Amino acid sequence: MLRRVLSLPSGRLAIGVLVLVAALAVLGPVLAPQDPLATSGTTLAGVSGSHWLGTDNLGRDVLSRLLAGSRVSVLGSVEVALVALVVGAVPGILSVYLGRTIEWLSLRLADTLVALPFLLFAVAVTALLGNGLTQAMVVTGVLVSPLFYRVSRAATLTVARSAYVESAVVAGASIGWVVRRHVWVKVLPPVAVALAQTVGTGFVIVSSLTFLGIGVQPPAPTWGGLLASDLGFLAYQPWAPLAPALLIMATVWACNVLADVVRDVSGEAGRALVAARGSRPPTHPSTPRTSGGVS
Amino acid sequence: MTETTAAVRPDARPVGSDVPRDESVLQVRDLDVHYGRGRRRRQVLHGVSLTVGPGETLGLIGETGSGKSTFGRAVLGLAPASSGRIVVSGEEVTAYGRRQWRTLRRRGVLQSVFQDPLRSLDPDLTVADSLVEPLVLQGVPRAEALTRARSDLARVRLEDDLLDRLPGEISGGQRQRVAVARALVTDPSAIILDEPVSALDAANRVQVLRILQELRSAGVALVFISHDLGSVAGIADRIAVLYQGRLVEEGPARTVVTSPQHVYTRLLVRSAPTLRGGAADRAERAELRALLGA
Repeated sequence: MLRRVLSLPSGRLAIGVLVLVAALAVLGPVLAPQDPLATSGTTLAGVSGSHWLGTDNLGRDVLSRLLAGSRVSVLGSVEVALVALVVGAVPGILSVYLGRTIEWLSLRLADTLVALPFLLFAVAVTALLGNGLTQAMVVTGVLVSPLFYRVSRAATLTVARSAYVESAVVAGASIGWVVRRHVWVKVLPPVAVALAQTVGTGFVIVSSLTFLGIGVQPPAPTWGGLLASDLGFLAYQPWAPLAPALLIMATVWACNVLADVVRDVSGEAGRALVAARGSRPPTHPSTPRTSGGVS
Repeated sequence: MTETTAAVRPDARPVGSDVPRDESVLQVRDLDVHYGRGRRRRQVLHGVSLTVGPGETLGLIGETGSGKSTFGRAVLGLAPASSGRIVVSGEEVTAYGRRQWRTLRRRGVLQSVFQDPLRSLDPDLTVADSLVEPLVLQGVPRAEALTRARSDLARVRLEDDLLDRLPGEISGGQRQRVAVARALVTDPSAIILDEPVSALDAANRVQVLRILQELRSAGVALVFISHDLGSVAGIADRIAVLYQGRLVEEGPARTVVTSPQHVYTRLLVRSAPTLRGGAADRAERAELRALLGA
């Protein structure tokens, strides 16, 4: 799959941006030129040699805060996506095989989660379990999980009654074998699309929650937190929100492009697309490459 | 209506007359199958009884919706029997649970070939992976499984170089022969073939039918499900006719084709395309349809 994604220019670009973001998450705190929490007398300063992106209303270096906040922002969004994947996709696949009762219960649970008001529920749970990033992201992941449940269930249903799965069952395959061997590969592309979209949405959610003071507490820096504080001083520094906003936009854009590429290169059509681009000789069912009898 | 059942000649076909034989590969007795639940519950098979002996080919014909495929699925354990008795290789399987079915299936005594050659092979697995799957499930090491798969590929007149291809990279006829080879890898006693040649062109159809005849000669029992009397007649030892879920006629293939007793069988025989295809045939078919409707 990765080879096919990298065969498209848009796939390479999206992966490149995401690798850059991941590098920021890993190295950001180390690369920060100044202490992101240290205040100074030079508040709301413009771009200069000592402050490449200026300072905020408390005189803190904006570049250092952006770099230091990368890890929390990236980890938060990845956490949302992974929780949603595990809580949603696994029951989504198994609901097709584990009988009517489990199917009915899991469907109703997914409906219930969809009906819950997201922000109110996140506020209520963080009030109950404590205001931490992990709590907030786990709650968010659970609330996003019905997307994965529906996507994986729909993909599984299209495969579960196909002739090749029935052939495997007739040959003695167990549910586990069928899922591992035949179903998972078919479910992966739509789930990968949902995952890439959720990582993008996760950035927005982490930013929104931070904006509301949920998850990460000030003065700890996050991209969303910077955006929120910069918006309060628009009259003095109208350009200040640009840097965090561009970072969030670029990351979400890369996730969405990656999702589109994963969708495009999946399945038979994706194979044909990649083959047409020259990574593999094109083939056609009606023109087999070698003789094998009458065809 | 003059004929509703076919118990006319003792040599031909009292319905469900197959005598239980100890050596039979497949015995089905009074099989009822229902689909749906509650108000949507619908009976698809009504008391069907059939027996298939070793190396015997039973042709099961009928129109769409007559219950042919359901019969095959019930025998394979893919559709639950509401009542009746199914015996596979001397083993009563009617009340089998999922685990017992799995154990029986892994012995490889019963295999299947489905109609659509494109969908009967996983599009993401190479031909080799699809071929060795039944053997790997039995616990056979992959290398040994591949060797056995190669010999079965030769039996269906395909070459080794197909092994690394994906199903989308080979023709429909080749795919169906791969499906037959896959059914052969476990040396089954019986194969259920559900419309195995319906989706193929004439040349491939002839080739697959020839392969099936060789299998019959090799002692593999076949249940050949089809709506096409022409395809079945050339290969089956006996033919059973299903109409609206009921077995209406059964007997030696030649007898059923040359002197059909039930109105529906006569209609099937008369509906087979001929070069003549004149007005007299049309009139006769209309008359038979009227009889059947009555």
